[in-house]
Amino acid sequence: MRHLALYGWEVGHLDHFQYLLLMVGCLLITLPLEFVFGARVYRRAAGLALALIPVVIIFSIWDIVGILRDHWSYSPQFTTGVKLIFGMPIEELVFFIVVPICGLLTYEAVGEVLRRTQRRSKGRRSRVGEAGPGA
Amino acid sequence: MPEYTVLTACAVVAVVVAELVYFKSGIFTTAQYWWSIVIVFAFQIPVDGWLTKLSNPIVIYDPEEMLGWRTPWDIPVEDFGFGFAMVTLAILLWRRWLDRRPSSQEAIDGDHDHDARRRSRLRRGRTSI
Repeated sequence: MRHLALYGWEVGHLDHFQYLLLMVGCLLITLPLEFVFGARVYRRAAGLALALIPVVIIFSIWDIVGILRDHWSYSPQFTTGVKLIFGMPIEELVFFIVVPICGLLTYEAVGEVLRRTQRRSKGRRSRVGEAGPGA
Repeated sequence: MPEYTVLTACAVVAVVVAELVYFKSGIFTTAQYWWSIVIVFAFQIPVDGWLTKLSNPIVIYDPEEMLGWRTPWDIPVEDFGFGFAMVTLAILLWRRWLDRRPSSQEAIDGDHDHDARRRSRLRRGRTSI
């Protein structure tokens, strides 16, 4: 092991997985949105797949254009070195899947929170009005 | 004009035009969408910040191909356009799938039960206040 640092993942051999671990972190941190906030994105896998496919295709093309036109490159130290077509690192493919998932989980969780808030205030109003259980 | 900057601007415009002309989902008029974008940007800062930090970059940018405005941290300003376009497109496609689904599907996949359970939970919550 080269060195162990508290700041980040700089633990020798783990370096190559830095990018992938960051993506795993994104999935883990957003997981409660599905199960605690009731986002129900993973549980509607068909819709998720249909939303992801065009995003992955379009942004992979953009990524490859960026690589070929030298807009960006990837640190060999912090990536696994596994390359897909036209030198696109596997990490980028993972990124184009993980980030939209996090976005959709956020969108659905926000929707869920807003609906609950609305329902609650509506319930309160109807209770004041009718003194009966809300619809 | 730096190419990454131009491509980002095109992507942002393309997504907005796609919504206005093709999807017509109306997400741009909803609080749900804008709150989501705010939250996504907030989380983009630590994640993208880690990827692009100049001290130990994972993604290395050619300074010639962007504006060079790197903030907060060392995040290229273009990345926020990239993120906006990607997440917005995903939400548009997801929204279209949700809105096109026949309502009978709701009952089949348990949506109905789920809503009923949630309502009863809420009712219980209210009566206990």
